[in-house]
Amino acid sequence: MILVQECFTMKSFTAKQKNLIWIWIFLLPCLLTFLLFYLVPILTLVCTSFTKWDGANLPVFTGLTNYITLFRTPDFQHALINLLLWSIIAGTFHVFFGTLVALILFKEPHGWKFVETVFMIPNVISMAAWAMIYRFVFNGSYGILNGIIRIFSPGFSVNWLFESPYAFIAVTLTWLFYAVVVTLLVLSDLKAIPPDLHEAAQIDGASDWYITLKINLPLCRNSIGTAVICSISARISMYETIALTTRGGPGNDTMNIPLILVNAINDSKYGYANASGMVMLLIGIVLLVIVNKAFRMNESVY
Amino acid sequence: MHVTKKIIKSTLVYIVLAFTAIISLFPIIWVIFSSFKTNAQILSSPFSLPTSIGFDAYGAVFKQTNFLLYTFNSLFIAVISTAVSLIIYAMAAYVIARYDFKGRNLIYSLFVVTLLVPSQSKAQPIFSLIVKFNLYDTKTALVLVYIAAGMAMSLFILKNTFMSIPKDFSEAAWMEGSGFLRTFFSINLPMAKAGMATAGILMFLGNWNEYFFAMLLTTSPISRTLPVALASFNETYSYNYTNMFAALTMAILPGILIYAFAQDQVANSIVSYGIKG
Repeated sequence: MILVQECFTMKSFTAKQKNLIWIWIFLLPCLLTFLLFYLVPILTLVCTSFTKWDGANLPVFTGLTNYITLFRTPDFQHALINLLLWSIIAGTFHVFFGTLVALILFKEPHGWKFVETVFMIPNVISMAAWAMIYRFVFNGSYGILNGIIRIFSPGFSVNWLFESPYAFIAVTLTWLFYAVVVTLLVLSDLKAIPPDLHEAAQIDGASDWYITLKINLPLCRNSIGTAVICSISARISMYETIALTTRGGPGNDTMNIPLILVNAINDSKYGYANASGMVMLLIGIVLLVIVNKAFRMNESVY
Repeated sequence: MHVTKKIIKSTLVYIVLAFTAIISLFPIIWVIFSSFKTNAQILSSPFSLPTSIGFDAYGAVFKQTNFLLYTFNSLFIAVISTAVSLIIYAMAAYVIARYDFKGRNLIYSLFVVTLLVPSQSKAQPIFSLIVKFNLYDTKTALVLVYIAAGMAMSLFILKNTFMSIPKDFSEAAWMEGSGFLRTFFSINLPMAKAGMATAGILMFLGNWNEYFFAMLLTTSPISRTLPVALASFNETYSYNYTNMFAALTMAILPGILIYAFAQDQVANSIVSYGIKG
């Protein structure tokens, strides 16, 4: 009996060793990808952001010069101001609209399934195509938006993408109402609320408003926090809808950091490009920490 | 009093719903309709319905541009990168979900935390890496970049899938003498079909639609993808709107069709993926 048991542990021991080899073989492609496309690029990003580098010659350490230049350049200052404005709009109005749609869909009124389905469509097509579509929406002479406005005020003419301050509004409108990610996130949290909670509140005579404000919304804290992070992150990396419409103009009205980064790469100012990449990265991390704290996302809801 | 309040409330609800549906559908329907109108009709009456359905503009797009080539490039790159990603991330997710080994948590956290890095911030290092590998302006470059881009998302979805498969099956297989590879390929992988489909669809959509790196890493038509080509059509067709709308229609329909067939998977995965992010 003992012999049999010993045999068994022997076998499992060698099997375990064999498994260990397989485990690392299975991890290898993923580890290589991580190394080549994440670890090395991020280390390069951090290190070369403190250097003057054109890609051909060796990088020369210049300390904080890139960052100082960056913060002194009007392009970048405008980009930061735009990002701040866009983040505020995304974190408030955009998330509010998505949450509102979620609260409505949760009640399952007529046609809710249809609305839930079509709301997703703008998210499954290429952002480049979306940007091209919006060039036509905002076109000064035959665009949809001017066409609609002209029904109410004939003769109206604004060249949305090329006039200040309309360009900023136009770029904002390309994403403002498209909050399906927010809606889906909040909706899944709403569906997870135990039904007896609602029943109990109704028996106590609570109004719909009271249930929404005091029960549903606080219980959706996590998903709303996640939605704020997702929406603002999307603003940090917003590129196509600007590069293919206004190119950051008129002036620097719609400038965003990724455009500055691409321009710097095209000018072979690699150190400078990476400094702006670092700023993107850091803003993202700060955002995550702040929203996590504000929505107490690490604490359990129930 | 109570009744009027109720009417006002449901009116508001339907106004919001109608608005949501209109802003989502109208621009796309407008693009499709315009592809059947003449230039003059588009300019003079942007909201009118097309008077006839003809596919001349579609034919013209194929004749005047390398549309077929760009579509093939996009498809080739998206299919290969999605397929390779699925294999390598399923392998990694499987061992992370199933086996206890030194450094498991560290490796998984490292892989998933990459989600926090905006992909554009790494643009220069990746650009230089691709140039160093002599892959600039090749389809291979985009395949590699897209494989890497799907890492955090696929690992997250697939790890959860493998964790939800009961261990008993693997143990039974192991008792019958099935080795590591067979336990993975013939027991676990077939049972992870749902997760593989979800991750695959999401990755395919992302790769098919990607613009930023496609723009950065390619220049010539031989490796140009559809989203980049669309942007360049704008110059080709600056005065031929009908053709531009036809090209746009053909570029956006595949994404919408995939979504139509895999609606729940797309919606659910966005939620599960977002929650942990």
